[in-house]
Amino acid sequence: MNETANAIKARSMELATFYVGKALCGIDILNIQEINKHFEVTTVPQAADYVVGVLNLRGRIVTILDLGKKLGLSQIEEDKNNRNIIVRSQDEHIGLMVDSISDVVTADTDRIESSPSNINGLKGKYFQGVLKTETSLIGILDIEEVLKE
Amino acid sequence: MFEDDETLQMYIEESLEHLSDIESDLLTIEEGGEDIDIDLVNNVFRAAHSIKGGAGFMGLTTIKNLAHSLENVLDLIRNMELVPDPDRISVLLKGFDKLENLMNNIQSSNDEDVSDHVQALADITKASLPEEKHDLVSGVVNLELTDGRVFSQVSQYDLEQRKNEGHFIFLVEYDLINDIHRQNKNPIKLLETLEKTGSIIESRIDFESVGTLETWTAPTRIPFQILYSSIIEPDMADTLFGLNSDAIHIISDDMIRVSEAAEGSIPQAMPSIEKPAEQIAAVEPAPAPIEQTVAVQPPVVEEIPVVEEQVTAPVIQKKATAKANRQENGTAPAEVVSKSMGSLRVNVNLLDTLMTLAGELVLSRNQLLQGISSSNGKATELAGQRIDMITSELQETIMQTRMQPIASIFTKFTRVVRDLSKQLGKSIDLAIEGKEVELDKTILESINDPLTHLVRNSVDHGIEATHLREKIGKPKTGTITLKAFHDAGQVNIVISDDGKGLDPERISQTAVKKGLRSEQQIAEMSDKEKTDLILLPGFSTAEQVTDVSGRGVGMDVVVTNLEKLGGIIEIDSTTGKGTTIQIKLPLTLAIIPSQIISVGKEQYAVPQVNLDELLRIPAAQVKEKIEKVGDADVVRLRGNLLPLLNLSEVLGIKKTYVHPDDNVEHEDRRTAISDRRSFQMNASGRPLDGQERDSDAQQNERQGKDRRYHASSAINIAVVSAGSYKYGLVVDELKDSEEIVVKPLGRHLKRCSGYAGATIMGDGKVALILDVSNLGQMAELTTMAETERVSKAAREAEEAKERARDKASLLVFKNDENEHFAAPLNLVERIERITSSSIELVGGKKVVQYRGGTLPLYELSQVANVGTLPEREQQEIIVFKVKNRELGLMVTPPVDAVEVSMDIDDSTLKQACINGSMIIEGHTTLLVDIFGLVKELNPDWFEEEKAAAAEMTEDGQKVILFAEDSAFFRNQVKGFMAEEGYKVITAEDGAIAWDLLDKHKDEIDIIVTDLEMPNMDGFELTERIKTHPEFSHYKVIALTSLASDAHVAQGEKVGIDAYEIKLDRENLMKVIRRYLTF
Repeated sequence: MNETANAIKARSMELATFYVGKALCGIDILNIQEINKHFEVTTVPQAADYVVGVLNLRGRIVTILDLGKKLGLSQIEEDKNNRNIIVRSQDEHIGLMVDSISDVVTADTDRIESSPSNINGLKGKYFQGVLKTETSLIGILDIEEVLKE
Repeated sequence: MFEDDETLQMYIEESLEHLSDIESDLLTIEEGGEDIDIDLVNNVFRAAHSIKGGAGFMGLTTIKNLAHSLENVLDLIRNMELVPDPDRISVLLKGFDKLENLMNNIQSSNDEDVSDHVQALADITKASLPEEKHDLVSGVVNLELTDGRVFSQVSQYDLEQRKNEGHFIFLVEYDLINDIHRQNKNPIKLLETLEKTGSIIESRIDFESVGTLETWTAPTRIPFQILYSSIIEPDMADTLFGLNSDAIHIISDDMIRVSEAAEGSIPQAMPSIEKPAEQIAAVEPAPAPIEQTVAVQPPVVEEIPVVEEQVTAPVIQKKATAKANRQENGTAPAEVVSKSMGSLRVNVNLLDTLMTLAGELVLSRNQLLQGISSSNGKATELAGQRIDMITSELQETIMQTRMQPIASIFTKFTRVVRDLSKQLGKSIDLAIEGKEVELDKTILESINDPLTHLVRNSVDHGIEATHLREKIGKPKTGTITLKAFHDAGQVNIVISDDGKGLDPERISQTAVKKGLRSEQQIAEMSDKEKTDLILLPGFSTAEQVTDVSGRGVGMDVVVTNLEKLGGIIEIDSTTGKGTTIQIKLPLTLAIIPSQIISVGKEQYAVPQVNLDELLRIPAAQVKEKIEKVGDADVVRLRGNLLPLLNLSEVLGIKKTYVHPDDNVEHEDRRTAISDRRSFQMNASGRPLDGQERDSDAQQNERQGKDRRYHASSAINIAVVSAGSYKYGLVVDELKDSEEIVVKPLGRHLKRCSGYAGATIMGDGKVALILDVSNLGQMAELTTMAETERVSKAAREAEEAKERARDKASLLVFKNDENEHFAAPLNLVERIERITSSSIELVGGKKVVQYRGGTLPLYELSQVANVGTLPEREQQEIIVFKVKNRELGLMVTPPVDAVEVSMDIDDSTLKQACINGSMIIEGHTTLLVDIFGLVKELNPDWFEEEKAAAAEMTEDGQKVILFAEDSAFFRNQVKGFMAEEGYKVITAEDGAIAWDLLDKHKDEIDIIVTDLEMPNMDGFELTERIKTHPEFSHYKVIALTSLASDAHVAQGEKVGIDAYEIKLDRENLMKVIRRYLTF
């Protein structure tokens, strides 16, 4: 019984999907701490251009990155649908600002294909793979690669 | 090895506690020498002893052996059989160091080699024994029991010692399971109890009989054998041990057999006798602790003083091999060896307080929640206040748990200094003050290394070798003082020595050699700056790299480490006298008081440690206070120039402002601060601030955000300093001072060196904490030293300008209401006020009875063409003394003394008895020639001079070389010299005088020179004369307007024979005559 559950778990993952520009991306939901819309960030002069600023997340200082810029696209445009996806990485919380969020998608690992060199203008190295659904193509982000300084 | 987690931990903790005091105890024992303090030795002895006892039980053979050897030596000292001389103490200290080291790495302790220590200790023991007993020390014997079993390899020496003390020797067999665990006893406690009535020679566990996990059958008994000696009679023994008599063996002499076991073999516990079968069956599986044979991480108590580096190095290597071995075997993971998480000892009272506070907090929260739910404003407010108070108290208490007395690292230095000085053959005392000062644990740990380095430096380079000290008359024993004290919310640590001090020249030369500074840079530096070069990266003072301090780490590492802690280091050194190094540290790192400032829309925090003061330059003063030097803005602060750093510029913050007309944010294009006013006028076409006052209120109401209006047109500056930087940080607003909690920044911001971290403000927003030192670096700011030099140069230039003129003290007064006069102050005896009626007219002369004599009175109109004195009831009289006779000059007040530059016009208003005129305090003032006046009125007073002059003319005229740059004085002085019959050769400055001297060397008899002159001043001239073989016999008289002590000292150094005041004609001539007549 337990084994079957594990097998299912291993074979599928839940992806939180969101838009960066026109590209639909996903992150394994287990990597995500929370999604919020706090934008009262403190700008950090002299930081890299993709750093939006720092945010107080219940007593933690969280760096918010503009995912668009970080991935080499244009800046995330200010919009009421903007969200911060707070992910955990290397013992710290980092926020990724995205244009808008979309559904949570369950993906069979079998159906995840290796990523092409370019997805909607995004470099392939940022992706663990792609998931084709009936309507769209979801690029699954490799968080550590994306967060590399 | 015994691996019961709890018992082992307890043992380690206890042992470390024992060990922690030993060092200082041993040092005290050493100091005492032959005066052995038995109590103290007993202390140390007991420590070694209980460590040994436990170690035997735990199966820690290495520790046991070492502790045992230590114990033997201590025992001899205790029995007055051995004098604790420094060498012996050294061996003991090293032994205990090793012991402590083993304790900290308990898992690998059995793999360590301690034979060196054991041997050294055994040698000491041996040396104190008579020849025939030498074998005893290393001899081992077996104990053969009546039932034929053998308790092997017992130290013969121990047995002998005990027997000599009249002890009975017992071998007691406990069973850990049945006799101890089942009866709720604790093996360590048991050992302690036994220690009270006798002493434990050996304790062993028979691990063989325990079996392994694989055998599945749980052990039924664990034999624990103790070789014990006590004065208690054998018949009392079973009550003492609480055991059946069959488990107690009394060892008699005939049971002792000399052991033939090979050296190095590990002594084993003897096998136990099998118990009857039914008993085994009745026994349940062993209780939990024994089953836990899984390797446990060694617990480590944090306060362990760091072991000497020399000792650690090999240990680490060993540890590595031990680790490797284990990995090969695939048993324990490598982490086992690594230190576990830090633990901290906290006073129980403190914990109680915390508990109470937590309780309070919960209560207040309940009140608050109640207040909120019932919308009771009053209750909410009260609860809020309570929570506020509790939070502060809680914070304070929690901080206290982190605070530890600095003694923990200070005391360690006694040993460091002792060992080092011994090694270097120096005699050094270490004085420690302020041990009780408390510091945050983290800081305490981090300053250990820097402090060690500094102390080592003092010992190695600071204090001179003993014979050198004797030679230069210093006490043979050098002193190093370690002092800690609180000051202004910071902890200060001062390390001072009375050694040779730092040699600025040598330091600067080294800096040049290492390419850290150029010759030219060095040439401009003060001694202090040169000394500070030692803090530069890549600098090491040791000429020879010694074992002691030359290990590649220089002072720069110390500085970096301290700066990381927010500390500041200052060096103060006097060559030959000693060096004092002061370190200032924050009390804690977690919460720091800070000044909040803002630039643009964001707030920033500047740590209070870095903050010197806050400045606000009102808009009206911006122009005069802020100057531009080169490209940089500077502010004049109490005479010093302070470089300004515009925070928004350094950080590249775009300044914006809301334009009042269109309400749109614009980029503020102003860049420079110094010219902002003119810019404001040109660019926006607005008038100056002052003229706009009236409309301001209204403007502000409408456009609160416009920062360019009057109040904010002032410049706000936070004067900050860090390390070698000191500058003014120009910010938009200076806000409150707040206590902030430092939080680290994420990894994406690590490269922004301008920030030391971030903090969360009251409103929940994040504010960045500025790193003052890095900001200065980013702005490529010149360091403080350079800044000082700039301002010093500016100051000097100004002073030089002032000095170029001659200054003199004058007494100013009036004659007629509108006529201002002045006379040289040095000729004035005193000033008197008399009633006009007391003036008598005798023989056509005015006199007044004065101090029992008659004082002749004159007024200026008698000799010069000036106005007459107004008639008044009272009359002010200036009493002059000329030719030892007094005369009074009647003047009109106010009479005042001033110090002025002698800018004299000696032509326009010159007349009889008036030397010339000058402007003093806005009035044209006539300078009265007192000598002229006296001569005019009393020519007979000068007959003597006339005679002398006449005489001189007969003997041949004496020639004076007179150097003076001021034309007025040149003429004046030359005049009265000539009057007395001298021939005077004048020179406009020192250089001309030097040429003239060379030209007229056969004629000149004496030299009179001014001190401050262009080209070559009086000092240099004198020096040249006095060092020149041909001229050195000349007397040199210096003429000054103001003789300061510094001047006199400098003059003495170059060889000036006498000092005279320029306008004191009488004294000057007297001195000249004196020098010329013999």
